[in-house]
Amino acid sequence: MIVIKNKSVRSALKIFLPFVVIPVLVILSATIFKGKQYLFISALIAFCSLLLFASGFEKKKTGSRRLVLVSAMTALCIVGRFIPFFKPITALTIITAIYLGPESGFLVGALSALLSNFYFGQGPWTAFQMLAWGMIGLVSGYLSAPLKKSRILLLVFGALSGILFSLIMDLWSVMWYAGEINLDLYKAGLITALPHTALYTVSNLVFLWFLAKPFGEKLERVKIKYGV
Amino acid sequence: MRSFEDLNPIAVSVYFLLITVISMFTMNMFLILISFFGALAYHFVKNGFGKAKSHLFPLLLFIVTALINPFISHNGATVLFVLNNNPITLESALYGLAMAFMLTGVLYWFRLFSEIMTSDKLIYVFGALSPKIALMLSLSLRYVPYFTSQVKKVKAAQTALGLYKEDNIVDRMKGAMRIFSVMVTWVLENGIITADSMTARGYGIGKRSRFSIFSWKAWDVLLLSLSVALSCLSLFLLSGSTFSFYPYFELPSLDAFSSPGYLSYLVLSLLPTIIHVKEAAKWRFLRSKI
Repeated sequence: MIVIKNKSVRSALKIFLPFVVIPVLVILSATIFKGKQYLFISALIAFCSLLLFASGFEKKKTGSRRLVLVSAMTALCIVGRFIPFFKPITALTIITAIYLGPESGFLVGALSALLSNFYFGQGPWTAFQMLAWGMIGLVSGYLSAPLKKSRILLLVFGALSGILFSLIMDLWSVMWYAGEINLDLYKAGLITALPHTALYTVSNLVFLWFLAKPFGEKLERVKIKYGV
Repeated sequence: MRSFEDLNPIAVSVYFLLITVISMFTMNMFLILISFFGALAYHFVKNGFGKAKSHLFPLLLFIVTALINPFISHNGATVLFVLNNNPITLESALYGLAMAFMLTGVLYWFRLFSEIMTSDKLIYVFGALSPKIALMLSLSLRYVPYFTSQVKKVKAAQTALGLYKEDNIVDRMKGAMRIFSVMVTWVLENGIITADSMTARGYGIGKRSRFSIFSWKAWDVLLLSLSVALSCLSLFLLSGSTFSFYPYFELPSLDAFSSPGYLSYLVLSLLPTIIHVKEAAKWRFLRSKI
């Protein structure tokens, strides 16, 4: 198991790896090196950043309540994927991250991607989905203060993350298929995926609109009731 | 010895990782075909020839991916025909075909992986990486059926109260939202109760350990070392082989240096089939010696 002792180095790497190294590699692979090996390396890095996160989480002391709440929210995401039309994973990840912190958000996103794919089909996309959803959780956890304050900001953030998620996953599928960024294929893919993307964004908005505030109130109530 | 799916989950996961990674990121036509037929062979010996419906989606995927490329990419020197001023080339059709074999093969490998990796094995594999994440996975996996049954109860109660109609789409969505909201409250309270019960039983006092019924025996070690050795061998022997799709299609060379590489990848992809068939034969022909 990889263990990086210095905490600040580890948290810097956690953000640096997926946000900087993967895009750079993907762009490099498309422009300079015409080959599939950079896609392979970016998959490897996705895998490594997940591992890095897991090892950091393992070292930390986590209270049993937070641990169970995160697993329960993960299960709720998976059950929610069975609802016709609406996919609450992104919305629930954002909400959990806002109230329970960036790390919990990352875990809810990544674990629900992993587990729900056991029901909906595992594939090479699993690692990227885990990373993408995890990152949405991580970022919204860091932005928790402004997102809690303004509902409009929250909705904008939710819509953006939904659209961005679809765009990135489509880009990845195209590159996997064609071995390079083929713009025609990407356009075709985006157009076929448009209904999904739209539905996805709308369902994010609907869930955030209806759930964000009640969720906070519910959490407050539970806090008072059980003295968390 | 045991059948392939009963071997140590870590060895099995490493096997699947190697075979899918190699076939996913290579463009070598022979390797793609070998991996495709290896996956199909294991699928048929494991699941039999029934359930024709389950092959519908892979077949559809195959057809779509094979057809997409020639209509979108116009690279390649050999023009077959011209459609709406767009040349359809032999090379891009062959590329599409290779991609179709690759995607469908990988899809079958992942399906087999999902079939074999039951939740207990998944928790075991993750426990080796991080016992805490394994605990969370096991909690979540238990919660899924629990929540599903609770959703049914809440829904029945809401219907009995006359809170929503089935024939109105807006009303149905509102109803689904209400159920979801109820579930969130219930989940939060239930989680707190579970956590308190865990603390009461001593969670967090010692170092987190894990329990498993899986062990490492000769065959598990053999599978692990064979899969690593065979993939390293084929990667080493085939890393220098040249082939191309554009502008002219050229098959990878088959010479004295590269053919052992293909052979070792063939053995690697047929490994589960061989183990499965061997076990089935043993089961069938085993006679008591007394």
